[in-house]
Amino acid sequence: MEKPRVGVFICECGGNISDVVDVKKVVKTASEWENVLVARHYTYMCSKPGVELIKQSIKKRELNRIVIACCTPKMHRKMFERNVGEEGINPAFLEIVNVREQCSWVHHGDNEGATQKAIDLIRGAVKKVENAVPLHPGKMPVKPAVLVIGGGIAGITAALRVAEAGIKVYLVEKEPTIGGHMAKYAKVFPTLDCAQCILTPKMGDVAENPNIELFTLAEVKAVEGVPGDFKVKIKLKPRGVDVEKCVGCGACNRVCPVETVSDFDEGLGKRKAIYIPFPQAVPSAYVIDFDSCTKCGKCAEKCPRKAINLEDTEKEIEINVGAIIVATGFKLFDLSDYGEYKYGMHPNVITALQMERLMNVAGPTSGAIVRPSDGGEVKKIGYILCAGSRDTNKGKPYCSRVCCLYATKQALMMREFMEGLDIWIHYIDLRAAGRRYEEFYKNAQIEGVKYVRGKVSEIIPDGDQLIVRAEDTMLGRPIENKYDLVVLCPPIVPSPDITKLAEILKIPLDEDGFVLEKHPKLDPVATKREGIFACGVITGPKDIQTSVSEAEGAAAKAINFLIQKEKIIEPNKAYLAVPEKCDACGECIEVCPTEAISIASEKVEINEILCNGCGACIPACPKEALDLKGLSEKQLMAEIEGILTGSESEIKILAFVENEIAYTALDLTGVARLSYPSSIRVIPVPSTSRLKLKHILYAFAKGADGIMFLEAPEHEGPFGKAHAIAEERIENYKFDIEDYDVDSIRLWFSKVYVPDWRKLVKVFETFDRMIKDEGPIEQEVRENILKQLSQETDT
Amino acid sequence: MDSTKPLIKIDEETSDFIAEILEKGAQIFPKEELERILTCIQCGTCYGSCPSGRITAYHVRVIMRKAQLGLKEEVLKDENLWNCTTCYTCQERCPREVETTDTIRLIRNMAFEAGYVKKPHLIVSRNFIETGHSIPLRDEDKEKRKRVGVSEIPPTTLTYPEALKEVQTLVEATGFKEKVLKLLEEG
Amino acid sequence: MTKYAFFLGCIAPLRYPGLEAATKRVMQHFNIELLDLNGASCCPAPGVFGSFDLWNWLVVAARNLSLGESLNADLTTICNGCYATLQEAWHILKEDPSKRRRVNEVLSKINRNYNAKTGIKHIIEVFANDIGIDKIKSSVEKSLEGLKVAVHYGCHFLKPRKIRGHGSSEKPHILEDIVTALGAEPVHYKEKLLCCGAGGGVRAGNLDAALEITARKLASVKEAGADCILNPCSFCHFQFDRGQVELRERKGIEFNIPVIHLVQLVGLAMGIDPKSLGLYENEIPPTYLDKLGLR
Repeated sequence: MEKPRVGVFICECGGNISDVVDVKKVVKTASEWENVLVARHYTYMCSKPGVELIKQSIKKRELNRIVIACCTPKMHRKMFERNVGEEGINPAFLEIVNVREQCSWVHHGDNEGATQKAIDLIRGAVKKVENAVPLHPGKMPVKPAVLVIGGGIAGITAALRVAEAGIKVYLVEKEPTIGGHMAKYAKVFPTLDCAQCILTPKMGDVAENPNIELFTLAEVKAVEGVPGDFKVKIKLKPRGVDVEKCVGCGACNRVCPVETVSDFDEGLGKRKAIYIPFPQAVPSAYVIDFDSCTKCGKCAEKCPRKAINLEDTEKEIEINVGAIIVATGFKLFDLSDYGEYKYGMHPNVITALQMERLMNVAGPTSGAIVRPSDGGEVKKIGYILCAGSRDTNKGKPYCSRVCCLYATKQALMMREFMEGLDIWIHYIDLRAAGRRYEEFYKNAQIEGVKYVRGKVSEIIPDGDQLIVRAEDTMLGRPIENKYDLVVLCPPIVPSPDITKLAEILKIPLDEDGFVLEKHPKLDPVATKREGIFACGVITGPKDIQTSVSEAEGAAAKAINFLIQKEKIIEPNKAYLAVPEKCDACGECIEVCPTEAISIASEKVEINEILCNGCGACIPACPKEALDLKGLSEKQLMAEIEGILTGSESEIKILAFVENEIAYTALDLTGVARLSYPSSIRVIPVPSTSRLKLKHILYAFAKGADGIMFLEAPEHEGPFGKAHAIAEERIENYKFDIEDYDVDSIRLWFSKVYVPDWRKLVKVFETFDRMIKDEGPIEQEVRENILKQLSQETDT
Repeated sequence: MDSTKPLIKIDEETSDFIAEILEKGAQIFPKEELERILTCIQCGTCYGSCPSGRITAYHVRVIMRKAQLGLKEEVLKDENLWNCTTCYTCQERCPREVETTDTIRLIRNMAFEAGYVKKPHLIVSRNFIETGHSIPLRDEDKEKRKRVGVSEIPPTTLTYPEALKEVQTLVEATGFKEKVLKLLEEG
Repeated sequence: MTKYAFFLGCIAPLRYPGLEAATKRVMQHFNIELLDLNGASCCPAPGVFGSFDLWNWLVVAARNLSLGESLNADLTTICNGCYATLQEAWHILKEDPSKRRRVNEVLSKINRNYNAKTGIKHIIEVFANDIGIDKIKSSVEKSLEGLKVAVHYGCHFLKPRKIRGHGSSEKPHILEDIVTALGAEPVHYKEKLLCCGAGGGVRAGNLDAALEITARKLASVKEAGADCILNPCSFCHFQFDRGQVELRERKGIEFNIPVIHLVQLVGLAMGIDPKSLGLYENEIPPTYLDKLGLR
């Protein structure tokens, strides 16, 4: 490689820097270093003349490495990168040294210390950039297609939105029709819109849209590839009816001799073995339930279109998509463990979903509310809210969010068409936190729906009736109510298929089995895995309005992800630097937060698309076979040495700082002009999990008296579990350094949240005082470490 | 003291008390305002505001709840019902705009009718029926009137017997007189 | 000349005639004509008769209102209770013709009729709207400077606010405005908006409870260092004045806070003789007169 020709430029920032840091001294010192051909200071390096100064220097002195000491790189790095790039400098050959937020602004009154620190940091950057290699971002074509899993209202909405953007959509639904749970409802709260009237047109749009390919009775079997280029295997269960040929005449249904329980009617009604779930089903075609079909052949005989194939078999197809949207929805929690509620033990205890079918004019009783036990008249209904929700004993710890409202909706609707029907809703807290929800509840009260605060303790059958025992906590008295029908509102739980699907998609689930959001507040429709999004109830119980909003959001995220056509692959990734050392032990695979590492032909292989460059794998390798582009072993060692060697400071503290959260907090300390000791010298790293014991020992050998690690928290930082691994490692290093006669007190680990910036001053002051009390490490100890390090390298 | 047993058996022991209150109240107040009692969410603003609730067992929130549940007898016979000073603070602050104070007045009307009434209230009522005023004019009051320079007897039903007759005709026509006399007889 | 029919009620004419006398003198001072409402009865009391039989309450109230209508005059009153009954009855009968029809069916037995053409104004409204704060201020003959007044609104002038229509019931200011116009100083005290304790038949039915509320109110007035407690209501006046005697006799609590009605306070500032305002007719002597140099 060509010999480094370094230019050092220090910005005065109109006094912001130069009032504290003696820039002339910095320039003078730097100009004396080997390989530094130019060292200049200027009032505003970011101004046009400032940038021009750098560009001209590159031209005149044929510089090939640039170090700019100025404000935080978060401010102008991109701009400088672009400008030096115009002069042919690779971004890897540009180093920005933060001498404002992390130097002049925090060491006012300590000009000498600040100047020494600036010199040391710049020296470190010069050493680091001398050891850099040019890096080039990769490019990967993105497959412009989206897989939507789940054909309920969330999946339908997401599919339509993506398709409208002109992007191909594969919609996969496990049932014979799309529509999901919403297709079972008569009306929806709080507007009491007719659910069918608003859902059916959307289902029709799915069928019509040329960009949507619909697979019903389908299931995702396997997903391979990377975000932007997933290969998906889909299993198609036999339908027995050719969707293209079937016109839905129903001739088959009329002759079918088999009657079985209707799952669409939640077990309350019967249907034939060949059936259509409901008249507006999409696809609008009959389906054979092969579990109950006797293959008598009568239907096939009758079918005028010859659409029936009793020997239909399972198929498998493969599709290729760039992004995936998960919208697999929910089911109701099984209440069979709740003997006190008598579900499954008395026919007049039903679930709210069964009630939806019972009160639906298209349901098994054509909308007549009758007692399932004897078909008798229903005069009084009791609703049991939180029948398992908010119950860590036998149910679920969370609030299912929609039950208060749907119970109220059902009650209001029934009061409307059945005069005199007495409805009581037993609740713990009435939660109506949504636009117009409280008003809806109040309206139900006015319409005569009665509410009792107090969780129902038990239900006692009394012939066809049921006695409900509860407390009226408003009065603090027990209450007994006798009902003809009891409706349970069980917890909403994630659709059970998600357990397997999450494994296939490599996306984590939360403690309740819902899909974990990338960030619960700021990235709620993205999963932890790039290119995979989620919406609707699969990320937690929610109403239709919110599910639809999320679906719109997930669609937008997916479109955004695919619209780039080519995905830029940042070069700062881990790689197998010394393949011959790798024996595929797999230690690195364990720690990788993105599952980017796999084993291929007895070596590890790091997928550069999946790798996020956190560096956690590098110290895990017992053979030192891995390295990180952009912050290589060589660069890191050079930077450590550069900062420490030649420094005239009495006490030297290195702070390895996670580059996003912790670094930002540090910058904020500067912005607020707080003050901390100038002994602290920062080396930004993607995550402190990047650091080996070797780096720490080397720093001590080269003059560090104390070393700090400021790490992002696991759930807030960009690299997930890498942040947690960092803490674990540093705690181990504390033991390890004792073997080299360095007191463990000289290592300090802190987890830093952005709002912690004020606290950082205390942290720095405390550690600085501790190290000052300890005093510098004896030269003999340093030499000993160095000796051992070189021996270890030799072996 | 409330000797009622704790258990409430709905329907077996309760009635549609609210419907009765609304029916009775509609004579005087707009029904749509009174029926807001159905929307009571038992937040407790009323009881928290109540000057009487601090010093007596008068519990306006509980009365609203008992009314919702239909515990008519229990509500009517509870003599704490008569500790409301009708200050209207609860009604002013009710977030559901329940006409609490007016509902209490209506419930008291029903209690009065059912004979749950206090002796001094019957005496006030008798005084009103007999004189047109709730309190009597005593000799010392006449003296006072003279001292401050107003007529010895005020120009009210006390001065005009034909006016008193009018009032008596009205209290008969409304049935109030009969109610009061009956209760006085019963003691 | 503005005229009103003076609705006396029960407490003023039968227990505190000084209030009746003061009203007449003060209204005369401001050139407001007060007609005698001959043959009027009890309003009837809102929390007492309203609690016994609301229908009877409404019918009798309508008769009292009809007396004013025959004189073609609005009524005025110095009692919040009378005001509550008659203002509410007026409101109900004005808003709902069917209720008016039913009431008039009963009134026809005594050949009377009420069309809700005239109604009632509280004396506070007469001061605030007919006379006006500016006029009151410019008419002051004897400034009440130095007098610390604890203002009590009572419940039924302000509440229910949706029927009364005098604005906020939680931060009223009209009485303070009048007190300030007279040169006196309204003092803040914690229980300013607390009920006097007497209403709703509680005074008749449970005197101990009524007095406990009264005592709480008075203790707060005392704590604020007021020279007197001002009220716009004969019944509150009665409860505060007589109540202090009862508190002394029954519970041995001594307050000795002089009680003064709004009409009396205005009268004082207009230079009217304290005696003819009935100030010496209270149970609690008007010690504040010493402070004002009027004894």
